[in-house]
Amino acid sequence: MTDRLVVGVDIGNSTTEACVAAVPGDSPEYLSTALTHTTGVKGTPDNTDGAVAAVRRALEKAGRSPADLDVVLLNEATPVISGLAMETISETIITESTMIGHNPATPGGEGLGVGTTVAIDALAGASGPTIAVVGAGWDFDDVATELNAATDRGLEIVAAVLAHDDAVLVVNRLRAPIPVVDEVGAVEKVPLGMRAAVEVAPPGRTIRTLSDSYGLASVFELDPDQTKQVSPVARALTGNRSAVVVRTPSGDVTDRRIPVGTLTLSGAGKTLQVDVDAGAEAIMEVLGRVQPLDDATGEAGTHVGGMLAQVRDTMTDVTGQPAAEIRIRDVLAVDTFVPKEVRGGLAGEVAPENAVALAAMVRTSRSRMQVVADEVAAALGCRAEIGGVEGEMAVRGALTTPGTAVPIAVLDLGGGSTDAALLDRDGVSSAVHVAGAGELVTKLIGSELALDDREQAEAVKRYPLAKVESFFHVRHEDGTVQFFAEPLPSHVFARVVTMTPEGPAPVATRHSVDHVRRVRREAKRKVFAVNAVRALKQVAPGGSLRMLDFVVLLGGSALDFEIPDLIADALAGYGVVCGIGNVHGSEGPRNAVASGLVDAHVAGS
Amino acid sequence: MTEKPAIVLRHGGSPDPAVLREVCAGAEEEGVPTRVEQVRAAGADGAVALAHAAALESPLETGIGIDESGGVAVHHASLPAEAPVQRVEAGSPRPDLRIAGRTAARIVKVLPL
Repeated sequence: MTDRLVVGVDIGNSTTEACVAAVPGDSPEYLSTALTHTTGVKGTPDNTDGAVAAVRRALEKAGRSPADLDVVLLNEATPVISGLAMETISETIITESTMIGHNPATPGGEGLGVGTTVAIDALAGASGPTIAVVGAGWDFDDVATELNAATDRGLEIVAAVLAHDDAVLVVNRLRAPIPVVDEVGAVEKVPLGMRAAVEVAPPGRTIRTLSDSYGLASVFELDPDQTKQVSPVARALTGNRSAVVVRTPSGDVTDRRIPVGTLTLSGAGKTLQVDVDAGAEAIMEVLGRVQPLDDATGEAGTHVGGMLAQVRDTMTDVTGQPAAEIRIRDVLAVDTFVPKEVRGGLAGEVAPENAVALAAMVRTSRSRMQVVADEVAAALGCRAEIGGVEGEMAVRGALTTPGTAVPIAVLDLGGGSTDAALLDRDGVSSAVHVAGAGELVTKLIGSELALDDREQAEAVKRYPLAKVESFFHVRHEDGTVQFFAEPLPSHVFARVVTMTPEGPAPVATRHSVDHVRRVRREAKRKVFAVNAVRALKQVAPGGSLRMLDFVVLLGGSALDFEIPDLIADALAGYGVVCGIGNVHGSEGPRNAVASGLVDAHVAGS
Repeated sequence: MTEKPAIVLRHGGSPDPAVLREVCAGAEEEGVPTRVEQVRAAGADGAVALAHAAALESPLETGIGIDESGGVAVHHASLPAEAPVQRVEAGSPRPDLRIAGRTAARIVKVLPL
């Protein structure tokens, strides 16, 4: 054996990294690196398989055998486990089927029709201005024939409401065009014999009368008290191209705040309570007053109580600690909105409801990394030891980034938590973990865009967007156009897509590229930019970011195409140099901990 | 070309009137005109070949083919002849036929199919 091989292994929440170095003298020569998925929960014996696999793979790349190994160094990980929960705090309810406010792709005719609702097969007995209500099973030709016949008899038909997607077909066959709203799935629930109004705006416009309180008052001859009552209807219809409003004796649209309960935060010798429906800002403000947080609990029997119990249960499952011993050490609350189907809606109407997302973080009592080290040693037939504490090693690795110097702070942007560590001029280091990272971003994107599929939300987070504009070209979110020699598949035609390495993948949304982009960037900003400042303030001398000179971004999310820019923007005002880590001038933001372990080992021996 | 913009729908002579009606209704509901043309019967893979020829003929580069058995295909002139955008098997229920017409119209309007 001419030289001895030292391997640093960093077991993270989602990935395990290994870095092989030969140590001929007193400085390590880095040979290769490898990356695998972490097996099991970080800090548990299940990690052994992933760690061994990473070491073997790195050795293979370096063309060396495990027999040459001198020592494997593991990080002393602070097992940080995070949980997520989300609760809507507002709810829109339509009572007595008073309103239909959906946006069928192709309503018919245009204008406003005000009259009495009558089923199409009862038109013979009707009189006065009439709105025909057409159930499922009616063919468009028959509907048109029926309406034309009624008009010929002298009945004034002012509008129609249809179950099927037939509005244009029916209007094209009428002698006198009227506004028609279609695709009303539960048309049988439209109250009959009631005064109602149907409005369809011209293409490219939104309705003007039914989305205005005084418009409704004029249509239904309301007094001031009644006008006050219907103003939520007007608000709910704003922005639609078509709408139906039925005036029923006690029908209403309510926008209700759901009492979600209080959150109890204790720390710094204080215990404070905050209503979750007060929103994220209020929660974070209260949290700031009880730093460092000892524990957080939710009011039993309320949404927030269930939310934190769920987080605690998840932690119990993965750590084996009893729920009573699990302490929530940090919380990040984020305001968001969730599109929810309106209760009592007739056409699957969706209203954006306010919600609060909470990320909670638990630090388990002790790490079982020594067990992992023993098992790794047995599997590889060499020494394995715990080489250092994660945060300190990360700083050490980050310092090999060209252009950095102490005092240096690192931000490790992970999946479950955002970690910060600081090394000052005296060689003293400190580290914190705060709740909320990549997984919360994915959750926010998924819920705000109502994506059922977690993979799609993940793709929106990771890859830039584009719009497929023909079978052969896409327009990227920055406006550039890319041509494809092979036709794009029809399931992505005209859709908003994510530009994944496998090609364009559709995003199941009716929203524009701009909207999806805004949601994505806001989610990243609300989590990472907020957490960067929060975490750095906890390690910065005197809590002042101005005391920091260099901030180095590490971890998987530091490879993201825009998160580093968003964080740099957030830190720009504090006069710090912020950039993506480039460990050893070549490894990028990966491998800081693994190579930090090797450097520390060599320096110490 | 002086002809009016329209989706061209081609059939081999005696299409089921119900099939033709539903396909045309699908395009009409989307607000895009169709022009129906009768041609001599095509070969084995009738609907796709008819649809491709129709797409080449259409000022909107979009065509629909209906074969003798009632099978429907939707095509775009820029695509390879053997790769239609959509196929609807003969004997499919009415809503599926309506969707074929809608698909053709949405290609023209560049909307998700």
